[in-house]
Amino acid sequence: MMGKEIEREIKILFSDAVIDSTEKNRLKIRIKKDLAIYLLEFLKSRGFNYLVAISCVDWIKEGEFELVYQIGKIDDPLRIMVKTRISRDRAEFKSAINVYKNAQTYEREIHELFGIRFEGNPRLIPLFLENWNDIPPFRKDFDTRKYVKETFEGIPTLEESK
Amino acid sequence: MKNTAEKKSSVTPIKTLKFLFKKPITFKFPFETREASPRYRGFHLNDWEKCTGCGNCADICPNSAITMIEIPEIVPEPGKKNERPQIDYGRCCFCALCVDICPPGSLRLSRDYIHIDHATDSFVYLPKDEKIDTEHFVKPEAYSIFQASLNHRKQYFEGFISDLNFTLFDPEREPVEILPASERVRSFIEEMKGYTEEQAKREALRCLECSLCEEVCPAHMKISDYIKAIYDENLTESVRKIYEDNPLPGVCGRVCTHKCETACSIGYRGEPVAIRWLKRYAVDNLETGKIKEIISIFKGPELKRRVSIIGSGPSGLSAAYYLSLMGYQVVIYEAKAKPGGIMRYGIPKYRLPESALDRDIDIIKSMGVEIKLNTKVGKDIEFKKIKEESDAVFIATGFPEPRSTGIKGIDSEGCYQALDLLEKIASGEKIKVGEKVVIIGGGNVAFDIGRSLARLQMEKFGKVNITLTCLEKAGEMLADQEEIEEGGEEGLVIKPGRSPKEVLFDENGRIRGLRTVKCLSIFDEEGRFNPKVDETDVEDYEGNMIVEAIGQAPDYSYLDKEILDDLEIVRGRIVTDEYGRTKIPWLFAGGDIVHGPDIIHAIADGHRAAQGIDMYLGSKSEKVN
Amino acid sequence: MSRRELELYFGPQHIGMVGNFSITLSVEGDTIVEARANPGYLHRGFEKLMEYRNWVQNFPMVCRMNVVEPDSMEMVYAMAVEKLAEIDVPERAQYIRTIVLELSRLASHLFGCWAYANMLGLDTVAQWAMAYRDFILDLFEELMGGRVYHIYICPGGVRRDLPQGFEDKVMNFLKALGNHVPEFDAAFFNNRLFYERAKGIGKISREEAIELGATGQVLRAVGLQYDIRKIEPYAAYANVNFDVPTREDGDAYSRIWVIRDEMLQSASIIMQCLEKLPQGKVYKRTPNPFKWNIPAGDAYVRVESSRGELGLYLVSDGGNKPYRVHFRTPSFMHGIPILEKLLRGANISDVGNIMISLYVVAPEIDR
Repeated sequence: MMGKEIEREIKILFSDAVIDSTEKNRLKIRIKKDLAIYLLEFLKSRGFNYLVAISCVDWIKEGEFELVYQIGKIDDPLRIMVKTRISRDRAEFKSAINVYKNAQTYEREIHELFGIRFEGNPRLIPLFLENWNDIPPFRKDFDTRKYVKETFEGIPTLEESK
Repeated sequence: MKNTAEKKSSVTPIKTLKFLFKKPITFKFPFETREASPRYRGFHLNDWEKCTGCGNCADICPNSAITMIEIPEIVPEPGKKNERPQIDYGRCCFCALCVDICPPGSLRLSRDYIHIDHATDSFVYLPKDEKIDTEHFVKPEAYSIFQASLNHRKQYFEGFISDLNFTLFDPEREPVEILPASERVRSFIEEMKGYTEEQAKREALRCLECSLCEEVCPAHMKISDYIKAIYDENLTESVRKIYEDNPLPGVCGRVCTHKCETACSIGYRGEPVAIRWLKRYAVDNLETGKIKEIISIFKGPELKRRVSIIGSGPSGLSAAYYLSLMGYQVVIYEAKAKPGGIMRYGIPKYRLPESALDRDIDIIKSMGVEIKLNTKVGKDIEFKKIKEESDAVFIATGFPEPRSTGIKGIDSEGCYQALDLLEKIASGEKIKVGEKVVIIGGGNVAFDIGRSLARLQMEKFGKVNITLTCLEKAGEMLADQEEIEEGGEEGLVIKPGRSPKEVLFDENGRIRGLRTVKCLSIFDEEGRFNPKVDETDVEDYEGNMIVEAIGQAPDYSYLDKEILDDLEIVRGRIVTDEYGRTKIPWLFAGGDIVHGPDIIHAIADGHRAAQGIDMYLGSKSEKVN
Repeated sequence: MSRRELELYFGPQHIGMVGNFSITLSVEGDTIVEARANPGYLHRGFEKLMEYRNWVQNFPMVCRMNVVEPDSMEMVYAMAVEKLAEIDVPERAQYIRTIVLELSRLASHLFGCWAYANMLGLDTVAQWAMAYRDFILDLFEELMGGRVYHIYICPGGVRRDLPQGFEDKVMNFLKALGNHVPEFDAAFFNNRLFYERAKGIGKISREEAIELGATGQVLRAVGLQYDIRKIEPYAAYANVNFDVPTREDGDAYSRIWVIRDEMLQSASIIMQCLEKLPQGKVYKRTPNPFKWNIPAGDAYVRVESSRGELGLYLVSDGGNKPYRVHFRTPSFMHGIPILEKLLRGANISDVGNIMISLYVVAPEIDR
């Protein structure tokens, strides 16, 4: 099975990666941030040339951001999730744009919404938000209610307008 | 797959011209309309008779579109709030989650969906339905789509309604194990097994936290909170919340009349949450030492004031607990050999085992309460002396005297009072049980003595022969439904709607039965007790032992004459305000002698009387050291 | 930018635009030199809003991310929650879900036909497509009471059983649509105008498609048989037979022909499901919504929506609300990198052509 082979090879090359293969057709690999891009290059060389998505999770209690790369292959149902953690205070990471070309747009989105800087990405310009001058909105310490009160305070509620 | 042949032609599009002469499938709205489907999700309808004001719809709405508004015109009933949901259609997304969670099924969606207005205020709407709102719901003939709005809706135009198979709450209760009748009638072992941890968690998960139960509980216990703590596996927190309002949870968790379960909103179309068994689970599964530790945190600094309590029933014990937590020195005077009052000497052991009662009383005593047993006021100690030694007195002596029908022959040998027999059975004394027993009375006490005698009969004779007869008709008996069912299973024969006429004797002067006549009515037009009978309809029941269980009366003989004159007593009960205060400023009363009728009311009385005593004695008490 | 270049805003207020989406074009004469996509007009912040609502309150919100095909969003959320909470869905519910998803796919493809034909100027075909889509919306109104947002597929099954006579109505609709297919072919798919306008426009090669993360019709139009319903079957797709149509050229013409073939396959799937529909319950009750905690973990599930691979990455921290919800929508890749690449060097009159053939739906990009 493709999954078993890849698992064995990763265990040999990246010895301190933590692999979880309990779920069918899914391989979850947790790896340190310095080796993440090398792992992606290795996977691409073994035929996993399809980057499906990059997600980001804000673990505020642990003070870390988690980046999850979903990698796949066109004719195989196997999906590999590469997870890596970076520090919340120094939120920067190396871009995966040299390995997968379409990582550029995902990194642009994560930069805008979480505030992580990707070195090597030439186009970290705003994607959705315009004239945004608050902290990146998808972080857990962004208070939506406070933002609404401050931005739209001129509009009275139904009770106040009576 | 073989590809469909891709052609390219400039001529074939001309074939579409044939549609020029066909009837179009569009219709000219609003002159021609099409009725919405039977499951359409439009504006809300609410049946105000069924709606309980529980507020679950407001809690589940994902857009916070529903607010509960208080309606002054609705008279609040116990167990229902006088609030009704108001919907803001600027926020509502018509997802119908509120319909799926409404426990009585009163909130529904209709097939109206048009509302056009300049004023944004008109989009905030208090839904009623055509039964109440005849002004805005018009008949189908009078309905015009050109005026359609929230104030011009069609009658009988329901759309999406609630279906019990698809609701978001679970209408089925976790069943609790009870011993089968043939087994339980052989002994006085507790008949109900408690929940296991799995069962308790599953049952605690059902509670929707709407708090209708909290309002109707006489002691206003924090029910949603302690059930949530059981689900979170935090029994410490659960027991702490319980003890804030009820110091006898081991007793109430077994024998309470559960007004909360009657008010539970899930009970409208399903089975109510098993609040009583969950309380029992929480208290049974935490060690006594841990409970004492939890509640000792609430004990305040000691005050140099002394309060005496007469009677160690539920009311007296509850007042003692709360007073001693506030720091007062409390002494209880109990006439019998063991504390507990009606809980020990009135409730049989198969419903309330002694170990549970003793544990609750032991926890109360550990807070510093002193109980003087075998001390009858008026005989072993004078009431005057008690008054001299105390700063306030709380009387909770209950109704210890049984009442009698007074029919011919009822004072002969072989006729007993249920209360006396229950006390003897509870003390472990042997009683002479007849082979055939007739019980007069249809309340809980009658069933208690009936089922206790059934067990004794089973032990002595191997079979049960008990007839129970009462004035009330079959559907109106005063006992709890569970007692009637379980008693019937154990072999009690129930004869409702009969009035006892006289005791029948055989040639040797021994009792052979009871003669009854048909009872036509119990109360007269003014509501006074005045039963009417039909003397021609006679039935005799065989029995060599007659037991009366028709009610109890108070005994105020221990009070001095001046005090009795000053107190206001109406129909045998002392008149007090909600804090147990009587006309005499240092004398407080609670329990059966004030209004009864069950243990949880007595406990609530005791708590409030403790607060009343605290207010009377003031916080000017000096602290000890 | 040379002095002969102009910057034009193919903005959200444009007749050729579908949805609220804008593109900034640098044109030199009639040819586009560079294109930059500007999404963000429909950013409602769903992923953050869903973190404040519990598991049951979230499922009415998910469908609003995609106006054209909301059922695939509901399906992917339900599948993710069922995977994390380990809920077994009854079999009849799986078949009903398949029928609903395929009807939704038909509706979405008809919507796409409307958009494309309208853009080309073939209004007759556009109105036919919208009319048949309206019949499907009538069917959904029978089923659940809402025409566009159904809020029907929930964790645990579906919210109500099929009403009386629903199966017959579906069959009648499919027969009517089937009878009309030759008219569609005559007026649109075999029309020479369509051929001249679409052939060779927006051509993408196989390597570029894979590199830029394309899914759905874009991959099937370059010859790859990539369909998640075959690779990782969900719902009742493992029990029905259907083909995955492909074409070789990779241009707008191939993509629209793939859509037409897919519609015929969808009709076949629905008919098979109606025959095989088993009896039984359709809903397994989930626990009390105010107290339901799902054990900590994460899951990535995916379905084949009408546009391509729709994925959801759901993270739970053991509480009664989701910790992080991330939707991987197909229009994100189609609408930004692929669109920008294909527009480079294209004619300005082909902007709408390329965008609609790529099947970009604006609310899916912004969420």
